[in-house]
Amino acid sequence: MDIFDGIITGFQVALSFQGLLIVFIGAVTGTLIGMIPGLGPITAIAVMIPITYGMDPAMALLLMAGVYYGAAYGGAASSILLNAPGESMSVPTTFDGYPMAKQGKAGKALAISAIASFVGGTISVILLTLFAPVLASVAVSFGPAEYFALMLFGLLAVSSFADGSTVKALISATIGFMIATVGIDGQTGTTRYTFGNANLLEGVDFLVIALGLFALAEVSSLIFERKEKSVFGKKLGSLQLSKNEVKEMAGPTGRQSLIGFLIGILPGAGGTIASFLAYISEKKLSKKPEEFGKGSIAGLAAPEAANNSASSGSFVPLLSLGIPGSGTTAVMLGALIVLGVQPGPLLMTEHPDIFWGVIASMYIGNVILLVLNLPLIPYISKILKVPRPLLISLVIVFCIIGVFGVSYNTFDLYLLVLFGIVGFFMARFKFPAAPMLLAFILGGMMEQSLRQSLTISNGSLFIFVEKPIALTLIVIAFLSFIVPILRNRNRKKIDEDSVDQKYNSM
Amino acid sequence: MLNTLNKKLALLLAILAACYLLFSFRLPDYPYVPVDSDAVPITLGFILLLLSIFLYFSKDESKKEERRLPKGETQVILSVLGFVILYVFFFEIIGFVLTTALFIFFNSLFLGFKKWLPNVIVSLALPLSIYFLFDSFLQISLPSGILPF
Repeated sequence: MDIFDGIITGFQVALSFQGLLIVFIGAVTGTLIGMIPGLGPITAIAVMIPITYGMDPAMALLLMAGVYYGAAYGGAASSILLNAPGESMSVPTTFDGYPMAKQGKAGKALAISAIASFVGGTISVILLTLFAPVLASVAVSFGPAEYFALMLFGLLAVSSFADGSTVKALISATIGFMIATVGIDGQTGTTRYTFGNANLLEGVDFLVIALGLFALAEVSSLIFERKEKSVFGKKLGSLQLSKNEVKEMAGPTGRQSLIGFLIGILPGAGGTIASFLAYISEKKLSKKPEEFGKGSIAGLAAPEAANNSASSGSFVPLLSLGIPGSGTTAVMLGALIVLGVQPGPLLMTEHPDIFWGVIASMYIGNVILLVLNLPLIPYISKILKVPRPLLISLVIVFCIIGVFGVSYNTFDLYLLVLFGIVGFFMARFKFPAAPMLLAFILGGMMEQSLRQSLTISNGSLFIFVEKPIALTLIVIAFLSFIVPILRNRNRKKIDEDSVDQKYNSM
Repeated sequence: MLNTLNKKLALLLAILAACYLLFSFRLPDYPYVPVDSDAVPITLGFILLLLSIFLYFSKDESKKEERRLPKGETQVILSVLGFVILYVFFFEIIGFVLTTALFIFFNSLFLGFKKWLPNVIVSLALPLSIYFLFDSFLQISLPSGILPF
């Protein structure tokens, strides 16, 4: 089956009435969740997983794609309307989006971000359509040694690109890997770290970790801010853009969509780096750099195009190799596995309907978001008026339902609370949570592929040196976190630059 | 010796690593595979130990005052935590609908949501609708507890 046939199969799944309805429901729900300050795509996807339980996998994936895009869009909306980015990748959106909203042009800002996201998303899905099958066909020849090296690369890259200290990120990843070793060992049947508790035999469920570390821990920051009255009450203003405004955003949007996609493919880099880079580079390229930070159209369009494009780019390694390169794609992988779909090089040949269904649903998700969500924004933004105390209670309830709906076990609910507490302290002591989640998801696979490779080589570690692809990946993996450490020595200079950046963007 | 936060955290992590290593060494042997089930855990334990040493010698990046919770907020967080634990404890015993209703109502009230009527309406409508939605459309049965349906 070539790409063309494949994408047609995908669209047949996605364009049915049921399919469209489900993407729409997903997009609206995702937007609602993403708009709540502090809650991002990771939480949105994790909360939706139990709902997809028992659904047809193709339909469930449509829902997920909708939720995923919706959450990213909702995050942009709360950045623009409230100056409250849901996660780090939408921080640059606030630089120019919020000033525009203050000038009474919130509607315009939302329209620009929606269009830029749409263009970024679509360009990058087209590239994904072309790239993923190629990469998958290369990856079919990968053995366990190559896979282990690849996953190690992904994990170290995510840790080294995480915010703050690299040591803390690595600690976070190591502990995540340790949690993955709990349960029955698949190869020998030995029970590890269950302390005689039958509930731990199958290990810790990934939803427990995702919802605990992210959603529940984020509730605490919502609690601190509960007294803040939502300032949003202003009129949105017109959504219509003038010809000149469209012209002004065209260049940055196009350029940053391409760059964003390339950054997104790299494990660890993803949306945050893409959107900051987009903002800074467009400012340098711009003929009117003085407008940046005061409501510049290019300054809003560039990071939005880039982060959406990077988000789809990160689906390339997920779909073709089965390896997530970021926290968000890690949750996506978890969701796919819950549905009984194992992404990887064989997915395209064995389940073409699902492989292409996901890709087609990304095209549709983008369109639905633009066509249906934009006019609904005034209504959806009403969620910002829900009193904070009530919102906090509801988020907690949804976390509990999310875990219980998958495990039917109160023990997992206690574990959820425990990971919520861990997540709270990690946030306070500035340990990034994404490496832990990613290491937890990759941990099982990494251990398996490591032991398979060592079984092939009869216990000799030289197998990783003898295989050229594996060796290259391991070398890049170590470089990827040695370079940032070396870079830290010049940190003072970078800090000064970023302060400069901040003042300029005020 | 433990004058900075990083040093305290490093000690805590080192203890964690040591406990983990202790249990790794006590894992039973399985002689028929080249790499036994304790190989990866032992490696991980030592990596964590090494990283905690690095952490011990690295500088704190945030000031103590920044980390302190706002006044009285510790109590608020602990109370909410208490509510959540009670919620989980009674979840299966009393049932989803009643515990959820009580949790939403009292937690929101405690956090400062003073409007009684909307609070009562949400507390009752949300768990009931979720319960029936999950039961009939998603085939997920939430614990019914003491309620007859």
